[in-house]
Amino acid sequence: MSMVQYYPGKTFIHCLDPRVKVVSLFILTIVIFLITNFIVISLIFLGTLIFWLKARLPISILYFYMKILAVLLVILIAMQALFYPGSTIIFSPIIPEVIPLLGGLGKISKEGLIFGLIISFRLVTLICLMPLITFTTSIEKMALGLIKMGLPYTVAYTATTALNMIPILQTELGIIIDAQRLRAFQTFEKGTFSQKVKAYPTLVIPLIMGSMRRAQSMGVAMDSKAFGASKTRTFLEDITMQKKDWAFMILVVLFCITGVYVNFSGFLGIFN
Amino acid sequence: MNSFEDAHIYFESVSYKYPNASINAINNINVSIKKGQFVVLMGANGAGKTTFCQLLNGIIPHSVGGMLMGTVKVAGLDTKHHKIAELSQKVGLVLQDPESQLFTGSVKSEVAFGSENLGIPVNELRDRLEWALKVVRLEQFIDRSPSALSGGQKQRLAIASVIAMRPEILVLDEPTSQLDPIGSYEVFTVVKELNQKYGMTIVMATHHSEEIAEFSDRILVFDEGVLVGDGSPKEIFTQKELLLKTWIREPQVSALANYLKQRGIDMPEFPITVEEMEKYILELFQYG
Amino acid sequence: MQEPVIKIENVDYYYHGNVKALENVNINIYRNEIVGIIGQNGAGKTTLLKNLLGLLKPTRGRVLIDGIDTRKLSVAELAVREGFVLQNPDRQLFADTVDKEVAFGPQNLGLPEEEINIRAREAMEAVGIEKFSTVYPLSLSKGDRAKVVIASVLAMKPNIIILDEPTTGQDYLGCMQIMQIARKLHEQGHTILIVTHNMSLVAEYTDRTIVLCKGKVLLDGATRYVFTQTEVLKETYIIPPQVTQLAQRLRNKLDISPKALTVEELGDEIIAKLNSRRKKKLVAQ
Repeated sequence: MSMVQYYPGKTFIHCLDPRVKVVSLFILTIVIFLITNFIVISLIFLGTLIFWLKARLPISILYFYMKILAVLLVILIAMQALFYPGSTIIFSPIIPEVIPLLGGLGKISKEGLIFGLIISFRLVTLICLMPLITFTTSIEKMALGLIKMGLPYTVAYTATTALNMIPILQTELGIIIDAQRLRAFQTFEKGTFSQKVKAYPTLVIPLIMGSMRRAQSMGVAMDSKAFGASKTRTFLEDITMQKKDWAFMILVVLFCITGVYVNFSGFLGIFN
Repeated sequence: MNSFEDAHIYFESVSYKYPNASINAINNINVSIKKGQFVVLMGANGAGKTTFCQLLNGIIPHSVGGMLMGTVKVAGLDTKHHKIAELSQKVGLVLQDPESQLFTGSVKSEVAFGSENLGIPVNELRDRLEWALKVVRLEQFIDRSPSALSGGQKQRLAIASVIAMRPEILVLDEPTSQLDPIGSYEVFTVVKELNQKYGMTIVMATHHSEEIAEFSDRILVFDEGVLVGDGSPKEIFTQKELLLKTWIREPQVSALANYLKQRGIDMPEFPITVEEMEKYILELFQYG
Repeated sequence: MQEPVIKIENVDYYYHGNVKALENVNINIYRNEIVGIIGQNGAGKTTLLKNLLGLLKPTRGRVLIDGIDTRKLSVAELAVREGFVLQNPDRQLFADTVDKEVAFGPQNLGLPEEEINIRAREAMEAVGIEKFSTVYPLSLSKGDRAKVVIASVLAMKPNIIILDEPTTGQDYLGCMQIMQIARKLHEQGHTILIVTHNMSLVAEYTDRTIVLCKGKVLLDGATRYVFTQTEVLKETYIIPPQVTQLAQRLRNKLDISPKALTVEELGDEIIAKLNSRRKKKLVAQ
């Protein structure tokens, strides 16, 4: 399960201008890192979830991410609960303070626990937010958005071409592995770790040589089609900001300003 | 033979050496090709066919480098003094491996790519897209991903992506060598149509003698960078010695005619297609 | 009756459990046969090969190599019995010299050093690349690279040799050399399978041809017989070689056998017919 897969669709979030999506993701990421207010983060999280459902993205992927994250989150919360300099102790020390070094450890403070929970929550929100953008935007559209925002199109196209080549390379690697197995090569199935490391060149060399040849003829094909020739490139499927794009952008910005204000003014604060 | 005035493609004393190479890839080539001709390049791998193809649209020397001597003119433009972008509107180049010349995520964007790079206005872009896809019969796949197409379809898409730039000359470097017979046939049919219906000058490197005999007007034979044969398919395929020397396979019916000739039986005329051979053999039996 | 070296028995194969690629395939291949496998892309040729090599196991039915079910053998164990020559040689060349490339297979079999060297040398000699033994494989011509791959397979000493589109991307010289090697190996007793799109190669070099179409065996028989089945072949867009087409056109008009496969065969028949006609004319005069 990769982070860059595209799930085609025609829902609101799919049709949103890629620039709006990129900017929104950028601002929201900063806000999430900036604030600790539980209610504001909850709102972002809730919004993300709603758009996930509306975009008809498979929820199973979220579940998959959470499973991977679970251990990390538990450790994160435990660390904060144990080491955060909080004053409200909700769990008495296990280790008597007289013991050097370890003494006093095991105290769990309420502040630490809450802080840990909030950090974890921020992380979870971010993990859900990012694929919402990448899953609903095709590589081409994303590139177009970045080009419109000032990225040179040669750079954008080089990047998208590289991304498009990943599945081709995967197939190629599969064929190479099979070819080696057919010469009774079993290191990747049965070998020790160091044997495997030593064996990597046998896989990587044909893959790299093949990719280089491919890249070379791709270069010829791109040059033949006047790649990079004109500064005033046109776009078959141009993007223009629609009313709904502006509306959405304004909404996100307003929300973020309010969120940050609320957070630092202490209004609605649980923690401050 | 090498007349300059009506030449659509014109080579005068052309030699070329790749960067870091010790010998010339092609040597003193003089040839002129008329507008609307269907010319086939034959010869063993490494004989200079690919170099010849890439000289036509300026990839050599502009993007490859190396040392080019002599003059290459296409549609009146000296390739040395015009950029690839300019030449690309006169000469389109299709490569051997369909996979490595498709690099966008949809059929549509693939075909538009070249014209977009040239800065063609969007209305015109749409017209070109529609036309190019119609010529190669891929209209119904417009929103498909190129990776979902068959080999023959991919190669036709590569042709569409090139002809959308409205070239007068289409150059194809072994376009069917990776395809199965159907795919191969599809590509030949499209190329033939571009030649006959749209008057495009075609230059195609290929080993498929049977199709060459049926479709092409003229064969250029390369051997170690030198042009060693130039003539109609009939003229080339009768020259048994040239074929042996340059490792060119003639169509089976021509091979049969050469075999019979060696044994003292002359055909009324030299055959290059099954129909011709049938006719001549029947004549042989009638009068022989 | 002799036991087949390859026995494909009622084999179905489904990708991802539901995409049908092979349906009820039954093929017996006997020792020292030389067989062509033809069919369009997507006809199931690659799936069939992978099932033979143990890279895939049949969804239903079974594949027996030398009488042993492929399910009971590892890919490596099968590789000693069947050598597979990949379509694109560059996908498996990785060593810095030809002899190391060729020795790679025997090394994986854990043979003694001396045996490995003997096998590598014999294999290189068999395809005529011993003069390149210390050359970097990727610097060779495409035809010679294909020979390196064949040698690297021969060094495993398999009886069965499977060539997957060995002539794709090769020029005529490369084609001829590869096919001559295949013929020589056949004469030395190897069982040869050639998957190809090139009908004149099939006609010239194989004794038996199997035509696959949509995952099923459409035709299986003597090459001579298969190419006379023009109507059936049309179904899968296969056009017989020109010589066969011509022989079929002349069949009724000149009483020529429609089964000619090579230029020489048809040429000799035409000459014979012409001579007998001349004789008749002379007698009549």
